[in-house]
Amino acid sequence: MSGAAQPLAATPFAQRPGLRRTWLQMRRNHIGFVVCALGPILALFVLIRIYPIVETIRLSFYNYNITQRRNPFIGFTNYIRLFDDDPFRTALLNTIGFSVLSVIFTLALALAIAILLRSIEPAAPTFELLFYIPVVIPWVPAAVIWKWIYDPAYGALNYVLSGFGVPKLGWLQEPTLILYAIVVVSVWKLVGYFIVIYGVGLRGIPEELLEAASLDGATARQKLVYIVLPLLRPIILFTVVTCTIICFNVFAPVYVLTASSQGAPAYDFKVVVGEIYQNGFVFYHMGYAGAQCVVVLLFVMSLLIVQFLAFREK
Amino acid sequence: MFEERSIRITAWVACTVLALFTVLPFVWILATAFKTAAEINLWPPTFLPHAPTMANFHELLQETPFLRYIFNSLVIATGSTVSIMLTSSLAGFVFAKYRFPLRGPLFMLILASAIIPLEAYMVPLYIMVFKVRMLNTFAALIFPLMIMTFGVFFMRQVIMSIPDDLLEAARIDGASELWIYLRIILYLSNSGLMAIGVFAFTQAWANFIWPLVVVSSGDMYTTELGLAEYQRAFFTEYGPIAAGAVISVVPMLIVFALLRRHIMQGIATSGMKG
Repeated sequence: MSGAAQPLAATPFAQRPGLRRTWLQMRRNHIGFVVCALGPILALFVLIRIYPIVETIRLSFYNYNITQRRNPFIGFTNYIRLFDDDPFRTALLNTIGFSVLSVIFTLALALAIAILLRSIEPAAPTFELLFYIPVVIPWVPAAVIWKWIYDPAYGALNYVLSGFGVPKLGWLQEPTLILYAIVVVSVWKLVGYFIVIYGVGLRGIPEELLEAASLDGATARQKLVYIVLPLLRPIILFTVVTCTIICFNVFAPVYVLTASSQGAPAYDFKVVVGEIYQNGFVFYHMGYAGAQCVVVLLFVMSLLIVQFLAFREK
Repeated sequence: MFEERSIRITAWVACTVLALFTVLPFVWILATAFKTAAEINLWPPTFLPHAPTMANFHELLQETPFLRYIFNSLVIATGSTVSIMLTSSLAGFVFAKYRFPLRGPLFMLILASAIIPLEAYMVPLYIMVFKVRMLNTFAALIFPLMIMTFGVFFMRQVIMSIPDDLLEAARIDGASELWIYLRIILYLSNSGLMAIGVFAFTQAWANFIWPLVVVSSGDMYTTELGLAEYQRAFFTEYGPIAAGAVISVVPMLIVFALLRRHIMQGIATSGMKG
């Protein structure tokens, strides 16, 4: 046994005790298994995440078209083009408007419901489950469902409103109405998820704190403003970031809701991801689409940095 | 939290009304799917079908390749789920229980990339798939959905709670690291793994933009893509589309109903992180 170990100890590798110790330590930490297990996963991760992200940035500096042989470097031309691109500007403004409305309504409603549910705790899980149903419904069928509700001729919404004397409206045909129509769909779809998240945060608030405040004569409003909301701050920040990113990438519901069908044309509501799809995969202007992707990337990154800084502050 | 009587009454009323509004659109499409074409185009609309019929489902499944789309979606969702469960648990295990150089930075990199949406980097993915001539294949459809960075984070959290002594004891008994992963880690983290499985399955099933981009021939459509395209072009009648929407939602609802406890726990953890 020790005889076998002797020649090993005589190798130059082992003469440097520092290296040898590192090696032994790595052995003890099962470095072989770590490399075999993590290596392929990391390789895959680089292939389908890191490389495409980096490559997107690189592409945005090229006049890249998948159907052409030469794809020359053109510097910032794609970015300069973005400024003169009217559809893209419209798409950006639409997306921002949609995101702002959607995030505010979704989160305010989710927070209100989550807080109300805490006063009827025994029934809360049932309600959370009901509110969660639209979250489970994928965007496409969700949009299909709402498209029928919004239908100008046979839709349930116009029928209900006609009871109040409102004339039939083209919810998906009027440029001003379609924004709100899509906001309603997204609030309906997303609110359940954030109710559950806020529920977790609210359950984490120590009950003694609120009882102590009650004993001191605090009203429900005061407890909400001075105890509950400040303690929820990190979770609220997290949900604002998450919800904004989800909304900023809105595409599937817009794709379905703005499509003309059943003889009813719809207004072409442009969004950022729709423009990326159009430029990259319909016209094959992939360099230009790449520049638009970089806009999305920068937006997401800046949100991440805001979140990171806000957490470091604490 | 708030025990005042007036708040409790407000809570009951508000939540009941809102829950009703939440469920109503789905009930509406469910009812529509069983109506005849004539009844669908009735004004004023009826709520429940007068003469429930399977005609819409029949038409959708018999006269269009929708059944094939369902099959495609199942293959893609299953492939993605298996891959994500494997990679998440294995990577989560390694990050939770081993010390190695660059562990911290690597983990931060994975975590940071979790929030970047597929839409922002799908162009190079498409070019990659195009260059290896794999457009229109299952491989291409599953490819970007093979790992879930949130899954790695989540499984790490779950596995970190498994005591080290257990692993040490197994090693003393001569267990290899792979054996520990297969027999101890997978067994003890199985509830968390289920949650990740559900997330992966629903995510792959609901994915829309990637199939839209890489699929060009009808026989590789997924249910989501098929539904969206029917909605846009092929049908002038709403009944079969309603039936398609119901078909595309029902598997999600079943999965959710069966595993809701795991799912709620999973979301709770994702919220905790913030």
